[in-house]
Amino acid sequence: MASRYDRAITVFSPDGHLFQVEYAQEAVKKGSTAVGIRGTDIVVLGVEKKSVAKLQDERTVRKICALDDHVCMAFAGLTADARVVINRARVECQSYKLTVEDPVTVEYITRFIATLKQKYTQSNGRRPFGISALIVGFDDDGIPRLYQTDPSGTYHAWKANAIGRSAKTVREFLEKNYTDDAIANDSEAIKLAIRALLEVVQSGGKNIELAIIRRNQSLKMFSAREIELQVTEIEKEKEEAEKKKSKKTT
Amino acid sequence: MRRAGAPLSGRDGGGDTMAAATFFGEVVKAPCRAGTEDQEEEEEGRRETAEDREVRRQLARKREVRLFRRQTKTSLEVSLLEKYPCSKFIIAIGNNAVAFLSSFVMNSGVWEEVGCAKLWNEWCRTTDKTHLSPAEAFCVFYHLKSSPSVLLCQCSCYVAEDQQYQWLEKVFGSCARKNMQVTLLTCRHVTDYKTSESISSLHSPFLKALKTQNFKEPPCCSLLEQPNIVHDLPAAVLSYCQVWKIPAVLYLCYTDMMKLDLITVEAFKPILSSRSLKGLVKNIPQSTDILKKLLTTNEIQSNIYT
Repeated sequence: MASRYDRAITVFSPDGHLFQVEYAQEAVKKGSTAVGIRGTDIVVLGVEKKSVAKLQDERTVRKICALDDHVCMAFAGLTADARVVINRARVECQSYKLTVEDPVTVEYITRFIATLKQKYTQSNGRRPFGISALIVGFDDDGIPRLYQTDPSGTYHAWKANAIGRSAKTVREFLEKNYTDDAIANDSEAIKLAIRALLEVVQSGGKNIELAIIRRNQSLKMFSAREIELQVTEIEKEKEEAEKKKSKKTT
Repeated sequence: MRRAGAPLSGRDGGGDTMAAATFFGEVVKAPCRAGTEDQEEEEEGRRETAEDREVRRQLARKREVRLFRRQTKTSLEVSLLEKYPCSKFIIAIGNNAVAFLSSFVMNSGVWEEVGCAKLWNEWCRTTDKTHLSPAEAFCVFYHLKSSPSVLLCQCSCYVAEDQQYQWLEKVFGSCARKNMQVTLLTCRHVTDYKTSESISSLHSPFLKALKTQNFKEPPCCSLLEQPNIVHDLPAAVLSYCQVWKIPAVLYLCYTDMMKLDLITVEAFKPILSSRSLKGLVKNIPQSTDILKKLLTTNEIQSNIYT
């Protein structure tokens, strides 16, 4: 009888699985793709925009949210769970600032979110949060950070990562293309993020949203026009690279 | 207080009633089961009027099973198998079985629609009962253009008990079919599965088979054990095949998800190695993609996931 319970609530199965946490990770895969890149002087978050219904106000469907002036996050998974986690994180950022008079470090707020998620895998009657998050920002020491959390409550620092639908494809692209040259300057890092998303996003730049944080600057959201410009540049570069290749072979 | 059960004097309505006292002191009328002189009058009252007969006739007409060709809008005068004799008849009943055939069998060839069955019962969701539009045909028959002796039926509607016989008549006809093999696919909820083993050892979805006496091939999965039984249209078809000595096999998938579900549909995969389906399936990886697309288009656009 025990083996029927371990799928419905978060208790261990005989072979050591927490099925609810694993199922929560499946819920994350139902959200659209988000990619995070840590450059030298910049951090970039790119997301695949969710298709909005005709009568829906687009501004209320956001995947990238600021947690504080110097930290922002993108999530994939259950919208309602994300809202709850983001609210708690934002309150914690302000509470910390008022208590310690310093802004949170990216690692601190990531640990806070991860601890919150872990609590929900250990309480009875509660299910885990069905979201994964990419948290980016700069600390006071000026070092760029990128962290990823998942429904089990683990968090790790990454140079570049992707979450959500088709995350595997994007991650493979990043593994091939994340080189020192690719993050040499800010615009290259931005282009890398967009190129990674274009691997999996249908209908190109229209469905991409981008946010960046530069050292000592606050979050900047790219407008649709700016993204289109970037996409056009990328396509030009691709064409040129292909021309060069064909020239070489002939 | 009157003693419980003491008869009232006089009569009312069609029979004697007794007064009975309840616990709380109410006096209620309870019909007397002892016969009275008014019994004859009662029987007359129960006899059918012309109105009753008319209502019954209209209901029967509404519940009629009609078989016709959508392209020509003409109804079939003879049974389907008489018009299109076949050697292989594959019938999918229920949305998961239908999705399986759509993705794995129907994409590996050109299938032509040869007829569709329209019926109405209380389970149907259409509001217009007399004129079911062609788009709502739920039970469609196809044959393979390259090999017209292979017939396929996609039935995603519920066929009520009183309609099953009509369906069989209109499809199979009333004479024996020679050299034909029938394969049925359907689903049932795993809670209907009775077994003496512990339920923790059940890994749904799983496949069970039930075959007629003349079906000599080994089935692709274990046979359905007693006391489990088959219900509804699949049972009707199997019974018909058993009576008319047609080799037939039913593959029954016990699942915990009765709505369209990828894992349930994939549970039918072992059948692809059976003789009846082997020649018809060509591109399995492509079929999985088609199935995934089918499922995503069926998912309601929701705001749950971002």
